[in-house]
Amino acid sequence: MRISNCESRNSQSAIRNPQFVMVPLSWYLGLSALLFTIGAVGVFIKRNAITIFLCIELMLNAVNLTFVSLSGFFGDVGGQLFVFIVMTVAAAEAAVGLAIIISIFRNRESLNVDEVDTLKL
Amino acid sequence: MQLHGWEAALFYVLAIMTLFMAVFVVTARVAVHSALFLISTLVNVALLFILLRAEFVAGVQILVYVGGVMVLFLFVIMLVQTRAEEESRVRLYTGQTWPAVIIALLLAGSFYFAMSPAQAAFRPPDATTAIAETAERASAGAGLNISKDTQEVGEQLYRQAALPFEIASLLLLVAMVGAVLLARGTKQEKYYE
Repeated sequence: MRISNCESRNSQSAIRNPQFVMVPLSWYLGLSALLFTIGAVGVFIKRNAITIFLCIELMLNAVNLTFVSLSGFFGDVGGQLFVFIVMTVAAAEAAVGLAIIISIFRNRESLNVDEVDTLKL
Repeated sequence: MQLHGWEAALFYVLAIMTLFMAVFVVTARVAVHSALFLISTLVNVALLFILLRAEFVAGVQILVYVGGVMVLFLFVIMLVQTRAEEESRVRLYTGQTWPAVIIALLLAGSFYFAMSPAQAAFRPPDATTAIAETAERASAGAGLNISKDTQEVGEQLYRQAALPFEIASLLLLVAMVGAVLLARGTKQEKYYE
C-alpha cells in the first residue's frame, strides 16, 4: 500500500481519501490519448506501409480503451457495444488493407510509402 | 467503478508497460518486431479492460485482435518481407519528423483541452461508497464473484444494437470477398477470366 501511495501522489482522489489509492477516470483517458498520439506520430513518420497499418491499429485500440473506461465508470454497457463494432471494422479494414499491400508489393517490390505515391503503375 | 489498493498499482504498471510497448511499435526497425510489440500492447490493453470489469471485450480483444488480426499481419509481413530495413543505412522515417512532432503536440493539447471542461463530471461520486464496494467484493469471496458483464453485453447487443450487429456481419463478408479479389495473383486472374 505504501508503494502505491507514492505512485499516485498527483491523483486527486488519493488526497481526498489517503487510505486508498484510486485511479480516476482522467488517468484512463490520458493513457488512451497518449496511445492515440503515439499511433498518430507513427503514421506520420514511418515509411514502411505495414508499420503504418500497425500504428492505425494502435490508434483504434486507444479509442477502444476510451470507450471501455467511460462505459466502466458510468456503468453503461453501450460503450462496450461500440468497441465490438469498432473491432469488427478494424478486422475488415486489416483484411482489405493487407490485400492491397500484397498487390502493391507484387507490382512494385517495395513497401516504401514514398515510392508508392500513385495508385497506378 | 473505482480501482484501489493493488488494483490501482496494477493499473500504473500496465499503463507504463502499454506506453513503452507502443513507443517500441513505432521505433522498432524490423516490421516483425513492430508487430510483436503491438501484440504485447494489445494484451496489456486487454488486461486494462479486465481491470475495468469488461471481461467480454477483453476476451474478444485477445481472440480477435491477437489471435486473428495480428496473425494475419504476421503472415503478410512474412510474405512481403524484403529485409531491407535491417540494414542500418536505410532510413526508417520520412523527412517529416519535426512537423509530425508539432502535430502530435497539437493533438495531445487538443485532447487535454477537450477533456478539461468535463473534468468535474469525471470525479468519483463518493469515496465511501467505493470503500464499501471493495469490502463487499472482498467478503463475497473470490470464487463466488461471477461478473455479469458478458451477460449484460449480450442482452444489450441483441436488444439495442441488433441492426449494427447484422450490418457488421455483412461488412465482414464484403471485406472477405474484397480481400480475396484484391490479393489474387496474375495467374489466378487469367484463370478466372
